[in-house]
Amino acid sequence: MATIAVPLGAQAEQQEAEAIRRPALSEYLRWSVDHKIIGVQYGVSSFLFFLIGGAMAMGIRLELWTPELDLMVSGAAYNSLFTIHGTIMIFLFIIPMWAAFGNFVVPLQLGAKDMAFPWLNAFAFWLIPPAAIVVLLGYFVSPAEAGWTSYPPLSTLFSGDGQTLWALGAHLLGISSIMGSINFIVTILNMRPPEMTIWRMPLLCWAVLATSIIAVMATPFLAGALTLLLLDRVAGTTFFDAAGGGDVLLWQNIFWFYSHPAVYIMVLPGMGVLSEVLSIHSRKPVFGYRMVGLSSMGIAFVGFTVWAHHMFTSLQPELRIPFMITTMIIAVPTGIKMFSWLGTIWGGKIRFTSAMLFALGFLSLFVIGGITGVMLAALPFDIHVHDTYFVVSHFHFVLFGGSVFAIYAALYHWFPKVTGRMMNERLGVIHFFFTYFGFLFTFFPMHIVGMLGMPRRVAVYAEGFQAWNQLISLSAFVLGFSTFIVVYNVIKSYYHGPIAGANPWRALTLEWQTTSPPPPTNFVDDPIPFEEPYGYGTEASAAYLDAVDEAFSRGAPNPASGH
Amino acid sequence: MQNSRSSGPSISPAAVVVAAVFLLVSVIGINWFLSFVPVVLPEQASAESKSVDELFYILMIIGGVVFFLIQGMLLISVIAFRAPPGDTGDGPTYHGNPLLEIVWTIIPALVIVFLAVVSYNIWTQNSAPKASVNMVDGASIKINVTGARYAWTHTYATERFDPDGAQIIINSGADLHTYIGQNVDLTLQTQDVIHSYWVPAMRVKQDLLPGDPAQGGRPTQLRFTPVRVDGKTYPAEYPIVCAELCGDGHGRMRGTVIVYEDESRFLDQFYEPAIHAILNPPADPILRGEVEIQNYICNSCHILDSLGWTATTGPSLNGIAERAGERVPGQSAEEYIAISIWNSGAFRVPGYDQQMAAFGPDVMETANIMSPEQLYSIVAYLCTQGEHSDCDMENASTSIPAAIQTVFGYEVDITFGLDGDAGAETPDAEAESGDGSA
Repeated sequence: MATIAVPLGAQAEQQEAEAIRRPALSEYLRWSVDHKIIGVQYGVSSFLFFLIGGAMAMGIRLELWTPELDLMVSGAAYNSLFTIHGTIMIFLFIIPMWAAFGNFVVPLQLGAKDMAFPWLNAFAFWLIPPAAIVVLLGYFVSPAEAGWTSYPPLSTLFSGDGQTLWALGAHLLGISSIMGSINFIVTILNMRPPEMTIWRMPLLCWAVLATSIIAVMATPFLAGALTLLLLDRVAGTTFFDAAGGGDVLLWQNIFWFYSHPAVYIMVLPGMGVLSEVLSIHSRKPVFGYRMVGLSSMGIAFVGFTVWAHHMFTSLQPELRIPFMITTMIIAVPTGIKMFSWLGTIWGGKIRFTSAMLFALGFLSLFVIGGITGVMLAALPFDIHVHDTYFVVSHFHFVLFGGSVFAIYAALYHWFPKVTGRMMNERLGVIHFFFTYFGFLFTFFPMHIVGMLGMPRRVAVYAEGFQAWNQLISLSAFVLGFSTFIVVYNVIKSYYHGPIAGANPWRALTLEWQTTSPPPPTNFVDDPIPFEEPYGYGTEASAAYLDAVDEAFSRGAPNPASGH
Repeated sequence: MQNSRSSGPSISPAAVVVAAVFLLVSVIGINWFLSFVPVVLPEQASAESKSVDELFYILMIIGGVVFFLIQGMLLISVIAFRAPPGDTGDGPTYHGNPLLEIVWTIIPALVIVFLAVVSYNIWTQNSAPKASVNMVDGASIKINVTGARYAWTHTYATERFDPDGAQIIINSGADLHTYIGQNVDLTLQTQDVIHSYWVPAMRVKQDLLPGDPAQGGRPTQLRFTPVRVDGKTYPAEYPIVCAELCGDGHGRMRGTVIVYEDESRFLDQFYEPAIHAILNPPADPILRGEVEIQNYICNSCHILDSLGWTATTGPSLNGIAERAGERVPGQSAEEYIAISIWNSGAFRVPGYDQQMAAFGPDVMETANIMSPEQLYSIVAYLCTQGEHSDCDMENASTSIPAAIQTVFGYEVDITFGLDGDAGAETPDAEAESGDGSA
């Protein structure tokens, strides 16, 4: 529907371009305490890291084209490649990318003028470039080779200085994440308009709140683990060295006590996006709003009790059963979300916008990641597939099929608000199909090679797996190609996209009740939220939206209003 | 859909038909899924693999129901509930259904309870210690697995003794020999980083954890019982894989489980010949050295063309005899090679920063125990690697023992195999010499 643009002459186009007041590009390159600028800074920088990490994934798939070592000079070079791939994708892409959308959208959804602590917000962002430089320099000096999980003693007694730089960089990124999260918690709990009780808050805010609580509680454990690792590496301590009375499982416990909740740090905001997009683009309230919000909190809470399932093959056998049970329990709140989303679109009037396609793609792929999650929780089966390509497949279904699809949905959904222009919907649909099928044929076969006996993190493998790996690599190249479509779309739409108007999707949440892009103070007057964030289908909501259209119609014709 | 604006979606005859069709598709689809199970899992070569695969079947059935339910609902939604062209209106204002929400909370919870109980039963059954393990010739012996970057070593602490009364330890390198019905109970120990011992065909996996060598390391256990696989020719071979990232050569850290049809074939084809070979080493130290050096993990780090080794973690051993005499002024080639093996930290070849594992008569790791006689033969073999050996090969039987005597103070008994009774393999055979441990 968003493509219904009014034909315009060149003159009219110029007038419209003047109607959207965007910050100069140079403002994005310097220190700013405006949450909208910081949001874009987060978004563009983490997308660049996505491209770098993706290029590395292409290198990984090229190496795995044959069972022998051919592209890389050594197994160690391959190890450092997937180490930096994982590190970039987790710490420099997904986590900061959610800070991007959180920053831009959350204060707007709350009707606030900025985040609670604007300076802290900027500081948290500006920790990322130095951290990224440290991590990437480490890759070029003497790369970390122990995987993003960095298990000692491989990462202590058997690795070079790049590992130290890796740990320092991850430390900085952790600090950035903690500061960003404190800001979100304070903002969401204190800066809502008086009419907006916590039960009338948009679900993205619920998800960001839950995510931030996890990040504040879990990230200090990453900091602790990294501190011990650094001390072992540079100060001669023996926290992880058995010969000096240390214990290698100490690292695994602390690391996963952070890193399993970190999975939810990476997925929960995506679930918030999904609730927004599915409801708005099928014109129907979110089904079971309270349970969707509460299940975020449930996942956050239970997520803290499952970490040792990553250690099923190293943990004492007696301790494995309790962690199997807690891990399986996660399926219940996750199931509530899945069913509630289906209930949301069921009976609605679905618009197949690019944002909606990616949200539906999330639903369809994440369910596979959820099913394999329960399979991996089932201890006897996990023992067989632990540390194999089955696991690689599972977490890519969760973090790519889940998080990245949600990031794309969020991009297509909020790009008009950020830039004032719509993205090209036709290119968006093409992008979706390349990404969906490229993804499916890359990662689904990995389940099978894993079950058949291919471990993860290997540059050489048994010859029998070559056909599977070539299918996977070919599909991965298609998936890699699909990224160029969205990059082109973003750049083209930024300059030439149809003018969006204030509320192209006719959404009820507050970020749409101001101009696109919003003025520096976000709202001219204090905005009045509609009585419920997803109350579509009522006459009152239609009247509210019409009034908003009326108020902002002076800027440009609204292509989505349909009136 | 407009009429459901106030009451929400209600059950209609059409919905019942849709549900019935959906159920039928799911049943067919899940059956189709299950037909792939033998294709996507390796052979069932152990008793454990059968129960694990049963669990996999259950997971596939439950997962299949969830998969078809959600994808089906999704498919129906995108077909049935797409906004008609030109319709800019909203869908029904329907906020939820508490009964439905309770149902889709409780049913998954019950499924979870069921899965937890099934998994628990299979786990306790598979991981429980068994009564008679590693039975060989009526005795329960200890089988150790050593992981070191990047090779597996299997050792069998037999119930036999050599003429000097020392226990005979068989070293079968990267191969684990077993037979159908043997309750295998492996003791795993790493020499460096964490490794993970995985036999896909047996569905078992266990990490090897670094421990304090002074306290005997941190051994872990792995248990499985091989079973007959129909249509397989015996002895059957199954791959062993390292599943935990351990460094440069992680991908090539492999081994083989060799399963014999029964215990007598295991004894005839592996166990007794191995003991015989230990009790009757070749008289020529060079020949013995060629055998001995392959029982250690040297191949995991070194290149040696004559034996087909390709690893690059440590310096190449090609032409070692040409260089050994020039490394340290005043030190003979024999001394240099001997020290490099037993006192591995003494020298460091430029460009290689990894410390080599320790070998010697009293090291902690069983797999690395090396008697003076074994050292003698390995040095003798390495002295042949190169066109112009720095070693005094004319008098190898005196120059090498003299070197070992000089640097380590050990007396080498060079008489092994020379005057031995060729058939001797029983503890009471007196003519044998050498300590026999391998």
